Amino acid sequence: MATHPDSDLVPYLRGELPPAERERVARHLEECPDCKQDTEVLRELIDNVARVIGEPPPVNWARYRAELREKLDARRARPVWWRRPMPLALSASLAGVLLLVAVWGGHQVSRNGEPIGPEEVVMSQELGLLQDLRTVERLDLLEDLEVLRNLDGLATDHQG
Amino acid sequence: MARRDEESFNLLVSRYQERAYRLAWSILRNAEDARDVSQEAFIRLYDTAGSFRGRSKFSTWFYRILVNLCLDHKRKHKWWKLWVRDDDDRSETILDRQPAPVNDPVDKLSREETLKALGSAVDRLAPRQRAAVLLRVQEDMATYEIARVLKCSEATVRVHLHRALATLKKTVEKS
Repeated sequence: MATHPDSDLVPYLRGELPPAERERVARHLEECPDCKQDTEVLRELIDNVARVIGEPPPVNWARYRAELREKLDARRARPVWWRRPMPLALSASLAGVLLLVAVWGGHQVSRNGEPIGPEEVVMSQELGLLQDLRTVERLDLLEDLEVLRNLDGLATDHQG
Repeated sequence: MARRDEESFNLLVSRYQERAYRLAWSILRNAEDARDVSQEAFIRLYDTAGSFRGRSKFSTWFYRILVNLCLDHKRKHKWWKLWVRDDDDRSETILDRQPAPVNDPVDKLSREETLKALGSAVDRLAPRQRAAVLLRVQEDMATYEIARVLKCSEATVRVHLHRALATLKKTVEKS
């Protein structure tokens, strides 16, 4: 008899196996009473798990959304990390470390003889874009949300 | 935020708030934590909406954010649970929620004990196994969807489910 299809039993019960795999498991279950019994036990177990999980305590959804709005506003009001004021000592240390890394890195590059790629040059020139990354993401958000919002209408258009 | 943007976000929150809270509660077993973590998931959704490219269902993408936050939360607060149990939301409710289909009091008691043991065993499952079981049982997700939410292969999800259910089966047999 082939290996027992233990980890295939749950997908089999949900009916999501591809036809060939489904056929293989079904054939095995006909020949293997242990696996057949396991399948029945699993079916009952899944039903019971669904029952014991239960429902969470009720929530006041208006209050939930108001809290969310407050948290979102607070998060937006918080300056992003690279714009926060940094203590002088920390800034100086950081600048020193960056300088060392740059000097060492430059030395390594010249020793290895690897030229800087053109995309890296462009990136370094366009570094200012990173400052506005959040704005760029928001533009994407607007676009994606608009698409989501119109999905229902899109389906209707297709039917029509 | 632009007004249209605001409206769209509110619409998304209204549409997903209950499912998000319920799933977070199922994983965390604490109403306050579930509220906080599900709200955080919406904030992350707002912050990272630009990276949604429509390659998977929106709900799958959102659940990935939510489940990751829940798993992170569990990991960070694990030590605290040694001192304070936070399952106050569930301990008295498992039995209260169950109907009483069996008339024989002995059978009924035995069944109640089995379900109680099962509920506790679900709570004790390894976090990713538990998340896989909840996504399957509660959200009725297919294996490939669970794999996307947990960011792992379908084979791994099958193994998670198999191991989790084998553990639960042993618990039921013992009780």
